[in-house]
Amino acid sequence: MSESGVARGGASPSGLADVIDTILDKGLVIDAYVGVSLVGIELLTINARIVVASVDTYLRFAEAVNRLDLSESSGEGLPELMKDITSQGQVSGKGAEPAQGALEAAGEQPYDFDSDQEPQESARRRRHEEG
Amino acid sequence: MAGATTHEAAEVQQRSTGTYIYGLVPADVEVSEDVLGVGDPPGEVRLVRHGEIAALVSEVPLDGRLGTPDDLVAHERLLDATAAEVPVLPLRFGAVMTTPDGVVEELLAPHHDDFLAALNELEGRVEYVVKARYVERAVLGEILAENPEIARLREEIRTQPEELTRQERIDLGQLVEQAIAAKRQADTEALTEDLAALGVLTVERPPSHEHDAAQVAVLIETDREDELEEVVDEFAARSEGRITMRLLGPHAPYDFVATPGEETER
Repeated sequence: MSESGVARGGASPSGLADVIDTILDKGLVIDAYVGVSLVGIELLTINARIVVASVDTYLRFAEAVNRLDLSESSGEGLPELMKDITSQGQVSGKGAEPAQGALEAAGEQPYDFDSDQEPQESARRRRHEEG
Repeated sequence: MAGATTHEAAEVQQRSTGTYIYGLVPADVEVSEDVLGVGDPPGEVRLVRHGEIAALVSEVPLDGRLGTPDDLVAHERLLDATAAEVPVLPLRFGAVMTTPDGVVEELLAPHHDDFLAALNELEGRVEYVVKARYVERAVLGEILAENPEIARLREEIRTQPEELTRQERIDLGQLVEQAIAAKRQADTEALTEDLAALGVLTVERPPSHEHDAAQVAVLIETDREDELEEVVDEFAARSEGRITMRLLGPHAPYDFVATPGEETER
């Protein structure tokens, strides 16, 4: 995300993940009010997104921590380096630097970070165009 | 209501459709014609009125299943768009009754006064949700710096082949997870405190992602969005580099309606 901070949801629909967070376990529950006229319709299985720490979670965190020292060991001075690259419009005689910059940029967004939201992003966009 | 008569005829045959309910609104509301509901093809959304309240409904086929991404988004979009204009009591996704008459007889009529009172209470207010998420690299860096045990364990693992360190890596990950949970609690409290300073109701939501720093719902007057944005911006500025923030809304007040007997479940 950009430095300017807060992403604004605005009037556009939020991503599917946000929708699921909201409408599947919040709001009034019809069963509490209604008896004979209630219809039990089959719902597609949707796993509410509850964080349950598991072995997989732990291994992922361990891997993330291990990835961290790669960027740390080459991290010193990199912000300046990147600024240089930017100010020079990426035209640089020092060939190694852009490559390092790319590595650093990749480190900013570990591959598993938010990967669960990717398909939902396209869903959101599709809805957005409709409206 | 010609629609209801047709519907009853169909029901005699095999009750092929049900009445899906989105939420409850004051009776003097109107639904624009182009609003699409859940189901495939999407049902036409209309109002079933009783006294001073009404239910937003559409017919859904009973032989299908509900819950596609389009269904979920349709449910929320309709309620959020409604909430931006008028008070609305949102129902949890998936509420279906037999017929519109059933909605009146079993839902609207018996609970008319309670629902009306709740709607009056919500008048002029909407929900926003503030979502804060950790920048993984930043928060892991903090954790390594603050927890010698975690740093030590990581060094130990680094010098050994991966296949020999499965248990150690699980232990390491678990410590990291616990450290994030502790940070999450502190950051959620800090954000909630900032938001509550606006003199509004807040509800802390449980995390829905490993990297969540905080999720807090706020019920605030429609014309105070600027003030809310200011508080969120300030928090974001203070947390820059370690937390990214999103402000979602206006929403229907999903987090601020209570079903009788449900409050203690969480």
